[in-house]
Amino acid sequence: MNIIVCIKQVPAKDAPLSIAGNWIKEADIGFEMNEPDSYALEEALRLKEKHGGEVIVLSLGPERVKQTIKEALAKGADRAIHVADDHFSQLDPLGAAKVLAAAIGKERCDLVLTGLQSDDHGFGQTGVLVAALLNLPHATIIMQIEVQDGKMKLKRELEAGWFQHIECPLPAVLSIQSGINKVRYATLKGIMAAKKKEIMTINRESLGVTVEPTQLIEKIYVPSKTKKTEFLSGTPKEMAAKLVEKLKFEARVI
Amino acid sequence: MKILVIAEQRQGKWNNTSFETLVAAQQIAAATSGSVTAVVVGKGVAALADDLASKNAAEVLLVEHDLLGTYTADGYCIALAQVIESAKPDLVLFPHTYQVRDFAPKLAAMLGKGMVGDCVGFRKEGDKLVFVRQMFQGKTAADVSFIGAVPWFASFQSGAFRADLLQAHSGGKARVSAAKVELKEENIRTTPLELFKEAKASVDLTQAPLIVAIGRGIKAPENIAQAEAVAKALGGEIAASRPICDEGWLPMERQIGSSGQTIAPKLYLALGISGAIQHVVGMKGARTIVAVNKDQNAPIFEIADYGIVADIFEVMPALAEELQKAKS
Amino acid sequence: MAIQREQLEADVLVVGAGPAGLSCALHLANLIKRHNASGAKPELSAENIYVLEKGREIGAHQLSGAIMNPKALAELVPDFAKNAPLDTPVTESAALLFTQKSSYRFPVTPPPFNNAGNFVISLSRLVKWLGGLVETAGVNVFKEFGGAELIYDGNGIAGVITEDKGVDKNGKPKDNYTPGYELRAKVTVLAEGPRGSLTKQLVGKQKLDHINPQTYGIGIKELWDVQPDKIKPGYVAHTLGWPLSTKMYGGGWIYGLSNNRVSIGLVVALEYADPRFDPHAAFQTWKTHPFVRDLLDGGKLVRYGAKSLPYGGWYAMPRNYVDGGLIVGDSGSFLDSQRLKGVHLAMKSGMLAAETIFEALKKGDTSGKTLKLYKDKIDQSYIKTELWKVRNFHQSFHNGLFEGFVLSGLQEITGGHGWIDPMHAQPGYKAYNQIHGRSAQERFKGDGKLTFDRLMDVYHSGTRHEEDQPCHLKVLDLNVCSTRCVEEYGNPCQYFCPAAVYEMAKEGEGLKLKINAANCVHCKTCDIADPYQIINWTVPEGGGGPNYEGM
Repeated sequence: MNIIVCIKQVPAKDAPLSIAGNWIKEADIGFEMNEPDSYALEEALRLKEKHGGEVIVLSLGPERVKQTIKEALAKGADRAIHVADDHFSQLDPLGAAKVLAAAIGKERCDLVLTGLQSDDHGFGQTGVLVAALLNLPHATIIMQIEVQDGKMKLKRELEAGWFQHIECPLPAVLSIQSGINKVRYATLKGIMAAKKKEIMTINRESLGVTVEPTQLIEKIYVPSKTKKTEFLSGTPKEMAAKLVEKLKFEARVI
Repeated sequence: MKILVIAEQRQGKWNNTSFETLVAAQQIAAATSGSVTAVVVGKGVAALADDLASKNAAEVLLVEHDLLGTYTADGYCIALAQVIESAKPDLVLFPHTYQVRDFAPKLAAMLGKGMVGDCVGFRKEGDKLVFVRQMFQGKTAADVSFIGAVPWFASFQSGAFRADLLQAHSGGKARVSAAKVELKEENIRTTPLELFKEAKASVDLTQAPLIVAIGRGIKAPENIAQAEAVAKALGGEIAASRPICDEGWLPMERQIGSSGQTIAPKLYLALGISGAIQHVVGMKGARTIVAVNKDQNAPIFEIADYGIVADIFEVMPALAEELQKAKS
Repeated sequence: MAIQREQLEADVLVVGAGPAGLSCALHLANLIKRHNASGAKPELSAENIYVLEKGREIGAHQLSGAIMNPKALAELVPDFAKNAPLDTPVTESAALLFTQKSSYRFPVTPPPFNNAGNFVISLSRLVKWLGGLVETAGVNVFKEFGGAELIYDGNGIAGVITEDKGVDKNGKPKDNYTPGYELRAKVTVLAEGPRGSLTKQLVGKQKLDHINPQTYGIGIKELWDVQPDKIKPGYVAHTLGWPLSTKMYGGGWIYGLSNNRVSIGLVVALEYADPRFDPHAAFQTWKTHPFVRDLLDGGKLVRYGAKSLPYGGWYAMPRNYVDGGLIVGDSGSFLDSQRLKGVHLAMKSGMLAAETIFEALKKGDTSGKTLKLYKDKIDQSYIKTELWKVRNFHQSFHNGLFEGFVLSGLQEITGGHGWIDPMHAQPGYKAYNQIHGRSAQERFKGDGKLTFDRLMDVYHSGTRHEEDQPCHLKVLDLNVCSTRCVEEYGNPCQYFCPAAVYEMAKEGEGLKLKINAANCVHCKTCDIADPYQIINWTVPEGGGGPNYEGM
């Protein structure tokens, strides 16, 4: 099975955020693989171990994303495509998906995997949009994949503890649920081998993609707390009663 | 603005966040002198459409087809694309559910449009409509506006609007119209199989709207039952700050904080939690925060909406009782 | 049950990608390149140099003030001025004496504090850049891998075993269990920084200690963004006095970086008498001095960190060569404690190690006899010149500041000989007085704006660890903590750890030690300062620890 995994490099989860307009200052912060994507990568590697084939990493962004690509290669991906774009943090979900779809369109693959959403923008649309643009079937929040005779049986998560099985043909695009597997460590041999694996660098222009933004992030900001703490008084029993009343009628959360 | 709200149902039962989205639509309509139409999709759901109409909150558009009986992304997208093309709304709104995440972006893309998803609110700035969503896992908010011609597509996060604020128009029942859609079996590429419930291997606190969290103040594992009683009476999930999980008193998936989960529930009830920053960053996006701690200087009170300075062992039983009373 | 470990072989294995380790790797790679280009035999390969780094990134665990003397960098990378991320040259060097309410500037800045010609840098940034050069040179740098155990071979070492990954907190393998590798090398270079865990093992086992055991200080640092015009870039100040007593060795620093960024911190020698002294609290208190308070007014904390530093100097330098092994950098005591300069000496030691290894590889002989060339090179280099002069400096202060100034003054005019030569030292943990029932003071709380409690600070160190793993802080006898230590010293671990890792929690009638291993910033203070020497810092799963970007 030839599997393409879309992997995004995001600011490190604990990086102190310094806001600049509609993005953050990138100096002096670390970057890492988007955690949801690491589950997609792990799933792809497991499918390859079971069914053979190739795992290709696809990542969009400036030069620094090569670091994350190498991590994926060190874990066992076979080769990578880096679509170089210094301004990709400004792309809206449809724009990013168009670029990714164009790069995927040039490859022969059976399956495209993405994580559920990114830890920075958190759009959560990439997989679905890539499927739409490539006119492929798709499914999201996938917990399990079984492949047999060119078809897949998928387990999908719904709300409130419900699940569903779906049959889906190949080729297709799947968004993988986070936490479904224990992500493997890169081995020393894997890290060394990664140095020799191919990273094909292309740019947006060479893909012939024109991107028209459909939305604009005007600014980002730390939401300020406008409410003051209301301290309740009385005996514990009285305070409990007052609290429940306020939660019901004032805050209306119950 | 002419607003279409895609309500969600499964097997004849509403996903209640649909009503929250209707409230959002009503508010946007009020701000833009517009109208709201609720869309009900499925097969054999005329009764549901009727139920919605009787709430008299909006006009109702019934979209039925044999192939829409069970949800599929292809089915819903093809059908709704036709509905949108004929109804020509300015804004199409969805509740941000697992199902919506599965098809709404594709629907928008089919019509050449983008979607602003998982919004927590909106603002009108002069003539402009600005949608607010979260970025960096709730650490920041983002103001997003649409570029280009309508229709625009957006989804609202569960709990962003209060379903009980749904306004009913005067004068009886709303109108129910039916929309015809064309759908062929070969258009639908995935086959949905049975739905089933599973005792989940792990709990997903990010999906729980009501949380009761315990900290060091709980002192011993045998006291956790008291907090669990509060959670049960509330109908919420139990969570904990790091020290509790470190001790093994609760499993790690219940841990909230910089090294656990980051959540933004409707209600976060912090019992005996001091509010160290490592914990707070995991929950300060909660809509309503209640803190109970016997130390009035505990940092948790800086971010709480309601504070009770008292011994949690005196408050917990009282709270469980009051919550139980409120339920009935 | 014997663990099946994958075996790999390298020519050279460097444990630690700090200034010493990276200088060693880069210099060696350059020597190999020239050697191969000239057609000389045997042909060597930079790819057979492996560097292990336990942090997530190169530079993640690098912490220092820092003021750097560029002489070693100039030798290693001659065109460093073009590309090296040196923040700003030092423009002014001040020595200040703090009292509780005021500060006095020494009219003439004493020579050790005069930093003209040096640079204010972020050590983490410099090391990250150096790491890039090392990788470009073809060296294999493995991030997120630590050296857990030494592979002994006769009187020397044959390599290192890396840590096991994917083990849960109860010691059971998880789904992604990956046992550590058995990495063998002709020469293993221990470049672990202060109180390296493998170095500690080797020095102890092979009895490599010199005249004095190593003594240490703890450095606690915060990086702030301050209001414009508060401080000039390149302004360097060292402070003595308040809040430290005259019996304590240490002081504060204030370094102005570019873009209104300031590095501040306090160093304290870990040989104080009060076992309940809290270095972190002392640092926070120091910040409330009017001079510092004014500087930080309206500013914002960017990052926090702490690390130990080796004060022992020349006489605490262990034998740094064994069969198949060399010790470089802070692990090898290459710090000038008078001038507070360790970066260039670490780098130089790494380079001299590289030259030694180069000769050994060419000869095909990496025994201690051949590797002794390292010691000879050190003796002939400016490392000896600089460190020899201050060989008795730190020991002079054993009885307090006044005696220290007198003795070190005498050393200045006698080329370091002073009154007695060599001056002996005892390990810092022996300095504690017992508490004799004295009750503890209230812990420092912090106001949350200028001063912080340790939890708030640790949050700003970017520290994280894989949650589900065994505790990496091994306490040999927990009973001691709950019994003897409570009585005798009042559990100093609760006080000296700058990351709030150790706590004594009530259990039944007594107290029990609780270890919050995930907060650990890898400073090694606990390993150094515990009065019974029963705390053993071991390397946690790779990738864990602080994130000292920009520090």
